[in-house]
Amino acid sequence: MTKPMSSRRKFLQSGGSILGASWIAINIPLILSASQKAEENRQAGAAFKNITAREALEFSALVDQIIPADEAPGATEVGVVYFIDAAVGGFMSGALPMLRQGLEDIRSKVTSTHPQVGDLSELSFDQQREVFSSIEGTPFFETLLFLTMCGMFGLPEYGGNRDHDGWKFLGFNHQHAWQPPFGHYDAAVHGAASGIESENE
Amino acid sequence: MNESRRKPGYKTREEVDFVIVGSGAAGGVLAKELSANGFSVVVLEQGPYRTAADFKHDEMEIMFQNELMDHPGWSDPQTFRQSESDTATAPQGGPPPALYARGVGGSSVHFTANYWRFHQSDFKERSLLGPMEGTGFADWPISYAELEPYYTKVEWECGVSGQPGPFEAPRSKPYPLPPLPVKSSGVLFEQGARAVGLHPQPAPMAILSKPYKGRPACVHCGFCMGFGCEMNAKSSTLASMIPLAEATGRCEIRPLSTVYKIRTNDAGRVTEVAYLDASGREQAQKAKAVILSANGAETPRLLLMSASGRFPDGLANSSGVVGKYLMGNGHSVTQAAFEQPLNEFKSVQVTRIVHDFYEHDPARGFYGGGGLDARPFLDSTPIMFALAGLPPGAPRWGADFKKMLRHYFTRKMSVLGSTTSVPLARNNITLDPTLKDAKGRPAIRMTYMDHEDDLAMATFLQDRAVEILKAAGAAEIWRDPVEGGTVHAHLLGTCRMGDDPETSVVDRYHRSHDIANLFICDGSSFVSSGRGQPTMTIQALAFRAADHITRFARAGEI
Repeated sequence: MTKPMSSRRKFLQSGGSILGASWIAINIPLILSASQKAEENRQAGAAFKNITAREALEFSALVDQIIPADEAPGATEVGVVYFIDAAVGGFMSGALPMLRQGLEDIRSKVTSTHPQVGDLSELSFDQQREVFSSIEGTPFFETLLFLTMCGMFGLPEYGGNRDHDGWKFLGFNHQHAWQPPFGHYDAAVHGAASGIESENE
Repeated sequence: MNESRRKPGYKTREEVDFVIVGSGAAGGVLAKELSANGFSVVVLEQGPYRTAADFKHDEMEIMFQNELMDHPGWSDPQTFRQSESDTATAPQGGPPPALYARGVGGSSVHFTANYWRFHQSDFKERSLLGPMEGTGFADWPISYAELEPYYTKVEWECGVSGQPGPFEAPRSKPYPLPPLPVKSSGVLFEQGARAVGLHPQPAPMAILSKPYKGRPACVHCGFCMGFGCEMNAKSSTLASMIPLAEATGRCEIRPLSTVYKIRTNDAGRVTEVAYLDASGREQAQKAKAVILSANGAETPRLLLMSASGRFPDGLANSSGVVGKYLMGNGHSVTQAAFEQPLNEFKSVQVTRIVHDFYEHDPARGFYGGGGLDARPFLDSTPIMFALAGLPPGAPRWGADFKKMLRHYFTRKMSVLGSTTSVPLARNNITLDPTLKDAKGRPAIRMTYMDHEDDLAMATFLQDRAVEILKAAGAAEIWRDPVEGGTVHAHLLGTCRMGDDPETSVVDRYHRSHDIANLFICDGSSFVSSGRGQPTMTIQALAFRAADHITRFARAGEI
């Protein structure tokens, strides 16, 4: 187990050390075109552009360990794998070799414990969880976590957060204007008849 | 882009009255005031000319790609170290050590818009409290009374919403706009603060609570701190001052213009400002006088980069204090979760503050003062929250992680403590000896470690924040560690103001002691740090500087 991230500032700094040079290689037009492509592909049910189908299955298994499906959709369903496909073709291209190495390492772990299978995605969810728990805190894990959160909660134009499902799950309602009352505790001040409840439950 | 902008079309070889470097909080005000007073003005801004229509609710771009902060043309890295005995290194990714926006309007475009006036004591604490050995603790050469009319000018000309609080210094006029509507964080903070005997008040914010001067009121979209305002309701100089400057027909804003040298002549006067234009070509604008408003990191960088045979240590630096006494304001963050949803992703960051601890109190056992405010802080946007918003020890993946994301996102708030910074010569901006940007300009090197009193004050405020949040009925409270700052959005004190040319860079009118036609006005002019919200004072200084510079120019004294 790694130490929990208790300081945001620390997080902001570690963002760089996790992602390394890919951060510096950021190129806005590239991202936009890559994300636009991802969106087109997703809508057309097209193949992945920057990762193989086998890699996509592996990423799907991994990100579903981070955000599993329950009564709300899991990461794959929200479009995180499409987001990853777009990201590694654009602003996160610097991270692709590390991600591929991470997939290789996962495969070694899988074959060492389950010699009859080659891929994480072939294991049961519980078996996958066991493998996944061994990578927590690694740079590979941190990058996957970062990509999963961006794919869950970034603008849908980047390829994830399908139908705003990530936002709906959080209770983040993206609209361009709000009026008070904003939340439960300011309702009375603003003369609302009843408290404001979260929109996610 | 606004096609109706009027461009005077000044030629670089023809002398204009003023070149202003930087279009931010100070530069925007000076551009408006001086052009309105009849002078020809060229503003050089290294960032692009975005307008409200260019701003988007895109957290990926703003929080993770530094869209408003990075140099638009090339990589311009910075380095950081805590002590002068260390070798500074460039942080890989994340925000730079000196954090500021590039673009017309400067950092006023992405700021949070807390607009606290200084108190009377801020200008004369050295006299009130006595010396602090080994520090640059000093009085300002000007008083609150001298600056008060200009604070009022900021409030009325730029647009500030608020209501006078119980501790603030005397004011000559009320706020032009009522406070913004209170959020759940503000209600809870107010209840908690009152319960422990404090005196919370509405936060003064440079965001319009009602339509004002042709600009619409805030629509509470929530994309505020770090973002540009798509409504022009945030009172950036882009929204408030720049349009007025351009409307005079005498002010030319030149975006994508990166200054690399202020040139001087044999008589020791500034003659022109050399810059790289949008296509990377070298240009030089001649001017009768130059005003640097490039911020507390870029301004000293530029002075040091402009060293010449006559000024071997950099311009305006006979004192040797250019770049020294950097003050960033200390901070502490206390997070809390409540039973019911607050929905802090809506509206502005801050609606209530506490200034009970603003003044120095010898009973605390250390120097300093500060303020507290209630805000979502980094939880206002979903990715930042998801990456770093859960309490310490929370799982970082799996079913429980997912449940916690859902539970906490709408139920959290933070209390931010903001403090004084003791001015120390060892905290400074210098030129990195080896690292350069893609055009060969030496990188900004920041050396910074908070004084122990700054950290003690931040911890003291965190203790008070915990008491307030407990009294407000928080279900959970946790503290971010209080530690030395490594990223600073408040860049203060690096060209300090003073009457003595041996210990300061500019005089009380922002004229450099060494060069009669070189003025410096931005956060670098500060002598003390205030209590954490400097932009209001930067702008008051700029309005005041504009009056004096106008007077000098009209009297032929430049």
